[in-house]
Amino acid sequence: MGVRNLVVIGVSTGGPLTLKSLFSELPPLDAAFLIVLHITPQMDYRIAQGLAAVASMPVTLAEEGEQLRNGNIYLAPGGLHLRLDGNSKVVLCDGPRVNYVQPSVDVTMLSLTRPLKGAMIGIVLTGMGKDGAEGIRHMKNMGGVTIAQDQKSSTIYGMPKAAAQTGAVDYVLPPRKIAGKLMELLKQIG
Amino acid sequence: MSNRIMIVDDNEYVRASVEIICSTAQLGLASAASGPECLDQLGSGFKGVILMDIMMPDMDGWDTIREIVERGLYSGNVIVMLTGMGEPDAKMDGLQEYVSDYMTKPFGPDQLLESLEYYLTLLDTPVHNHGR
Repeated sequence: MGVRNLVVIGVSTGGPLTLKSLFSELPPLDAAFLIVLHITPQMDYRIAQGLAAVASMPVTLAEEGEQLRNGNIYLAPGGLHLRLDGNSKVVLCDGPRVNYVQPSVDVTMLSLTRPLKGAMIGIVLTGMGKDGAEGIRHMKNMGGVTIAQDQKSSTIYGMPKAAAQTGAVDYVLPPRKIAGKLMELLKQIG
Repeated sequence: MSNRIMIVDDNEYVRASVEIICSTAQLGLASAASGPECLDQLGSGFKGVILMDIMMPDMDGWDTIREIVERGLYSGNVIVMLTGMGEPDAKMDGLQEYVSDYMTKPFGPDQLLESLEYYLTLLDTPVHNHGR
């Protein structure tokens, strides 16, 4: 079974604990979850394992050529950008840093294309800078649902603020309510 | 108990308060009063969670992190900023991947310990089957 519904999450500093909080709230859902966290290759596998310990869905590092599958959580590896071919096939690529970072949330979100085969949800969580803002605007323009973390719960209110300032964000919420919104938008599986 | 936490702060009262919090959780603490002292301890083999102040004389927290990366001392460590600066400035640009968390003073013991214990667990994750 390939990917029908896709959730792309962009996050940076404060991300490991925020992701832990978010995914510990979620039951298995009918979507593939792709996380782009600003992380180094030295820590990416450890972050994925830490998330796997609390999540109800399997968590792996995304691999070159892999087809995303519903009911799974993928973490973009450190030190490379990640694009999605046809909204579901992982393409890892080197290249210049974008918004000072690699992997960049914008690179992943801007790689998404029509036609949408199902629901598409973009989320920007805590972090310094503005990575993800252009991406969230793109996802909104393509008909996606967009969410940004609220200021009070953000470790650093940079990326979610920049996303919200695009005017393309549907919901501004803390992680627990983001989990609730995802359960409202996506069917439970398993 | 081996030291798995390092506090890097020029303020001795902050170092002392972190020491008290860590001792209640039986976490060994290394202490550095400056960026160069932090680099020395990393050069001597420290591995663990580094609690880094930003505003320090001569070499601030961001410059210290840049040195850590340039000297190849980052691997096996997690960096958490522990600072009085509410939001980071543009000097953080390019360092996002190395800064896992950002705590502002005053911080609560529970908040600090939750963060420390989670990152120590991550650092203890074996990576030998990782294949990259």
